[in-house]
Amino acid sequence: MSASQSAVRSRAEAVAVSRTFDWMILFVLFTAVLGGYHIHFMLTGGDWDFWSDWKDRRLWVTVVPIVAITFPAAVQACLWWRYRLPIGATLCILALLLGEWINRYMNFWGWTYFPINICFPSQLIPSAIILDVVLMLSGSMTLTAVAGGLGWGLIFYPSNWPVIAPLHQPVEYNGMMFTLADLSGYHYVRTGTPEYIRMVEKGTLRTFGKDVAPVSAFFSGFVSVIIYFLWHFFGKWFSGTGFIADDAS
Amino acid sequence: MKTIKDKVASLSFVALLMALTAAMFYTPTASAHGEKSQAAFMRMRTIHWYDLNWSKDEVAVNETVTISGKFHVFGGWPESVDEPDVSFLNIGIPGPVFIRAGSWIGGQLVPRSVALSLGETYDFKVLLKARRPGDWHVHTMMNVQGGGPIIGPGKWVTITGSMSQFVNPIVTLTGKTLDLETYNISNIYFWHAIWYAVGVAWMWYWAKGPIFIPRQLAVASGKASTLISSGDKKVGIVFLVGTIVANAYLMGATNDEYPVTTPLQAGTMRGIIPLEMPVPSVNVVVDDATYRVPGRAMQMSLTVTNNGDSSVRLGEFMTASVRFLEPNVLEDETGYPDDLLAEEGLTVSDNSPLAPGETRSISVTASDAAWEVYRLADLIYDPDSRFAGLLFFFDEAGNRQMVMVDSALIPSFI
Repeated sequence: MSASQSAVRSRAEAVAVSRTFDWMILFVLFTAVLGGYHIHFMLTGGDWDFWSDWKDRRLWVTVVPIVAITFPAAVQACLWWRYRLPIGATLCILALLLGEWINRYMNFWGWTYFPINICFPSQLIPSAIILDVVLMLSGSMTLTAVAGGLGWGLIFYPSNWPVIAPLHQPVEYNGMMFTLADLSGYHYVRTGTPEYIRMVEKGTLRTFGKDVAPVSAFFSGFVSVIIYFLWHFFGKWFSGTGFIADDAS
Repeated sequence: MKTIKDKVASLSFVALLMALTAAMFYTPTASAHGEKSQAAFMRMRTIHWYDLNWSKDEVAVNETVTISGKFHVFGGWPESVDEPDVSFLNIGIPGPVFIRAGSWIGGQLVPRSVALSLGETYDFKVLLKARRPGDWHVHTMMNVQGGGPIIGPGKWVTITGSMSQFVNPIVTLTGKTLDLETYNISNIYFWHAIWYAVGVAWMWYWAKGPIFIPRQLAVASGKASTLISSGDKKVGIVFLVGTIVANAYLMGATNDEYPVTTPLQAGTMRGIIPLEMPVPSVNVVVDDATYRVPGRAMQMSLTVTNNGDSSVRLGEFMTASVRFLEPNVLEDETGYPDDLLAEEGLTVSDNSPLAPGETRSISVTASDAAWEVYRLADLIYDPDSRFAGLLFFFDEAGNRQMVMVDSALIPSFI
């Protein structure tokens, strides 16, 4: 076979090769995103995502969506503009959560014996689906950033509430009130994580009484819009194809 | 020649493999907490732990062990460490092998950070409940914001039994009894599995057809608009509306199921009450202090004045959790960790009873391998070459007085 001949001899063979290529690329993309996004998220979301006694109404709700929208925006830029595939955000979050769960189960529980009910990851799949569907329906980066980014932040707290609400039940313990999440954090000793580094319930959102979670979610959504723009451009830039000019010709 | 070279190469390779295999089988338990690598001045001039007691050396799973004692917050706190305005009474153990069932300073439960005052002494207690079998080195520990962990003495405690037997029963304020060890875990798995399945379904919808090459060709040839069909849009709307409606419904259903929830509790606790310590009747002036590097000994020249009404003798010098005892005056009966106890480590030039009103100059030598083992000798490399510690004097009736000493230290290399 010469270099100018096709590697396949029929349409069926071409389809089969194309599908094999699809799965190979999808696998590589999934695992590469898993690694890169997981490290990014651990470094930026970190303890807010690690521990149930960090999952509060203010900072967790604010920080996690903002730092999490980065890779989905970038991967969306690549998969949408080059392939019209509205799966960038969902792919990223599925990869992230798989990595998170492996980490939490193998390391946090399997290695250091923290019960899963103190170290489960945040739920982000509903946010990702909103981001992907808004991109598919609108076909617009701007609308996805504004409507999708806002939705991404707004739905974060409700989508986690069925899992964290049971841990926010109050307990009286040795004369003080705790939530079950607080008590888990106190009981299950983290030698390297003293209580004072726990950034929860800090800030000046006092005007809204007990209803600070929706305000935090709105703020998180607004900032997610900006971060979406930024990372969407990163994604477009990284996924562009460039050719080096051949001076000789 | 080539054959010999080949043989040498192959034998070397076998030797390398054997060495690597042997190294894999040598897996000693990592049980220390880095206490020896902490700068000497941090351990000598910040928190002085004393009168420590570990209630048991061996417990079964679900049984409790109490660590109690006192700590003195050194008045000459080093400038390079933030003052303990935000501190947390922690416990140095390898992960949650015990749960911390309670911790108190001055009788106040301290689940959160506290403000401590320089120069004060506090009593404390930590109640631990055994969870994971094994031999564990259990340290007292104070975390100081801007200073890091200040680790105290550690003692080995053995836990027997099986971790599967561990329970952590809690009663909520709504009257519900639950086991915090396992509570809510199946709920967490369930909702994460459900939403993961929804995410996979969305991915599968798009991945079931050609993904990359045909779609890229279509986009490149200007036919991108044909790649999203009206059917795709309908499916997308189902996912979008379904996700929003499901979350709205679940939020409401969860609120119905858990009508009483409270925010996480946080905030520094102030007003921790220190111990009322009697003013010592013994006055100590450090005239000079040297550390003799070859002899692993620290020598202090002290001028001691007894202003009390009973004669006293020097029984102990304690610094960085290492106790140097004068055996003619004091024997340890508390089961203090052996490696931190120099039972005959303190010699005094004249330790005859110091009569009331008498002033005497004495030479005190604290010597033990612990200076080297616990890397306290490294204080000669500190930027601020000073030492600090507690001197304990005993009167005729056995009453004890604690005197803090703090002075410059001159190393002696010959």
